[in-house]
Amino acid sequence: MQNAKDTFYEVLRGRLAAINPERTIVLRGVERPGVLVEENELITTVALPECFRLRWTQAAADPNGALATIALECEIDYETAGNAFNSGMDRGRSLAAMDAELQSTVNATPQSAPKSNYTGLANGAAAVPMSTSIWWGPLVFGKTKITDDRIGRTATVVVNSFQEAGEL
Amino acid sequence: MGNRCKDAVVRAAEAALRSNGGRAVLLRMPAPAASGTDAEQLGLTTPQFQDLPLYPAAFRKNLSTSKLLVSASAVASLIGARAFNSAEVLFETAAGVVVDDVLYTITGSVTYQADGEPYCYCLALRAPVR
Repeated sequence: MQNAKDTFYEVLRGRLAAINPERTIVLRGVERPGVLVEENELITTVALPECFRLRWTQAAADPNGALATIALECEIDYETAGNAFNSGMDRGRSLAAMDAELQSTVNATPQSAPKSNYTGLANGAAAVPMSTSIWWGPLVFGKTKITDDRIGRTATVVVNSFQEAGEL
Repeated sequence: MGNRCKDAVVRAAEAALRSNGGRAVLLRMPAPAASGTDAEQLGLTTPQFQDLPLYPAAFRKNLSTSKLLVSASAVASLIGARAFNSAEVLFETAAGVVVDDVLYTITGSVTYQADGEPYCYCLALRAPVR
């Protein structure tokens, strides 16, 4: 499961950076594309606005077939306060722009990618390609949420993968 | 209110904290993120942490660890040394406060001021699940 989660994040981050290079965040002094996985960050980071926050929720396994199929639900939270120069009155348009970016990122073809094992990165090694791929369904947008001066949304996508032999 | 009066308020707050169980606590700060690798973004490695002393500090109530009062002068010296824009940014960046080897998460901060001069910070803390 972990390799599928890591691969989906890497794909999403790469596509987002290509679609809108200006959507970036600064986390602990380093600028990076505006997407993060909540469970991989400090607790104090998770409410960061103007970026896409991935949260893995449900998991299901189908053991039928040569390899078990794993379905992971990924919630993507994002919110914006609009532009301060416009007193936040453009926050609706800002949210629409984030909707469009996310839709272009997730729904772009192919909705699949070769799965990789990233554990070697901890020791300075490169990611290792695996035998199978991940693939995902369409993006489902949730209702608009208003929190203080921010407007946001949660979108959901289901990411599927085959559980390879020996994989965690 | 002149600078002399502002300084007096800060010193009075510090004296009150010292005389009411003031003690040293540690502000746990993460090191800058590693650039050029995705290992931290994927949760494979964790950043280094540095514990910075804050003194004097005291819990607002004897029987509760949910609110911690910290001297403004102690915070000011950290802000200056670490080039943070404000105390709020400092507290938001911190991984938490270590008190008696227990790491508390900072969930919010309030600045107490006298005529625009911060004399004390109140940190809202969340204890770890045991």
